[in-house]
Amino acid sequence: MEPDIEKLLEKYYDGETSLEEERALKQFFQSGQVPEHLQSHAAQFGYFANARKEQPSLNFNHELAMRLDPRAARADRPAVAQGAQGTQGLNPGLGGGRWMLRVAAGLALLIVGFGAGWLVQSRSENGALLAALEEKEAGQVAEMKKVLAFEQMNSTSASERIQAVNHSYTIPDADRDITQLLINTLNFDPNVNVRLAACQALTHFADEAEVKEALIQSLAIQTDPNIQISLIEALVAIKEKRALDQFQQLARDQEVLDVVRLKATEGMNRLTTDV
Amino acid sequence: MPLNMDLKAFNQRILPVQGRLFRLAQMFLRNREEAEDAIQDVFLRLWTNRKQLESYQSVEALAVQMTKNLCLDRLKSHHKQKTSNETDMVAMQAADVSPYRQVENSDSAGLMHRLIGELPEQQKLVLHLRDVEEYTLEEIEEVTGLSNANIRTILSRARQKLRENYLKAENYGTGY
Repeated sequence: MEPDIEKLLEKYYDGETSLEEERALKQFFQSGQVPEHLQSHAAQFGYFANARKEQPSLNFNHELAMRLDPRAARADRPAVAQGAQGTQGLNPGLGGGRWMLRVAAGLALLIVGFGAGWLVQSRSENGALLAALEEKEAGQVAEMKKVLAFEQMNSTSASERIQAVNHSYTIPDADRDITQLLINTLNFDPNVNVRLAACQALTHFADEAEVKEALIQSLAIQTDPNIQISLIEALVAIKEKRALDQFQQLARDQEVLDVVRLKATEGMNRLTTDV
Repeated sequence: MPLNMDLKAFNQRILPVQGRLFRLAQMFLRNREEAEDAIQDVFLRLWTNRKQLESYQSVEALAVQMTKNLCLDRLKSHHKQKTSNETDMVAMQAADVSPYRQVENSDSAGLMHRLIGELPEQQKLVLHLRDVEEYTLEEIEEVTGLSNANIRTILSRARQKLRENYLKAENYGTGY
């Protein structure tokens, strides 16, 4: 093997190697079994292989999405979405958009608060126990939403957000808000562990069409191999055939880690055979 | 709605190459934030000119060219700033040492990063496209407009130079 490598190296420095040969060199110098006299070449090849894994941060993706389509990105913001859309429609292009948004969010919270209070009260006749239970639940849901809300991302810790995510699927009847929140977390949370937790939480809601759609789409934008793999597993588990295209793309994409590509291929096979 | 469809198609064509553009920008600018900022600029320009994109054979090659040019422009204006301020270059460099840069100087990967940064522009670009991004020669032709033979020569020089400088820095002393 070594004489081969030496020949290859010579060809490499002459600019005559093929891509395959260069990949072989990279692999060889990363194998950890490089003989002493060739060791001085290792740094170069190791650097190339590692440099290839660099990716822009997740925040970047989100910012870019906002710049390209400010409307959609803003509508994506979960906690304030319903309240905000109305006011925004009335004040297009006013510099005070953000301010209005906050007022709207405040109002929305107030209304939700009153609503919840009224709900609890009206049911209290049915038995104090039930009401107390529900109140607690509503509180937990609100708490979870608060922690996961987009604006909060800088002020909450990753573990708090993971807790909130994990809490989401213990809620008996989760509504669209919650799944939407989880989807946003999956796509935009800066912390990979939180995204992973969101991905796992979403599998609990995978029978909803929206969630299925979101899982497929998310696969196109995720760059972390752990999340790519979880998504593939989730999509295979729910036998989502529409993901086939995405799998195929992943399997072909040279930039994607080998394990992920293998996983995607395996997923493709399972989706096609398993009728 | 049609606008949204448009965006979707745009994303599908452009997002897959964003990692590549980012790495290219990072190679030139040697700074994460600046690289992100630069490719955001590239994406916005591509987006505003999306109608014309259809007429390009390879959007990726175009995007790579744009990224390269933008980075070089930015480096030039940095340079101008530095010299017009008549600040000592060394002091200036020390001042904008990012955490990344600090790590960079401490290990061999960092050393490589710096040595590649010191190569002449063209060598740097060709070496990066080939050895990091694994472009075929045809793809490099498309981006740089250089001939096949020319690319090989540049590549060979870049690789030898990088090695030479690395050995010098690490005091290996002997040739390969």
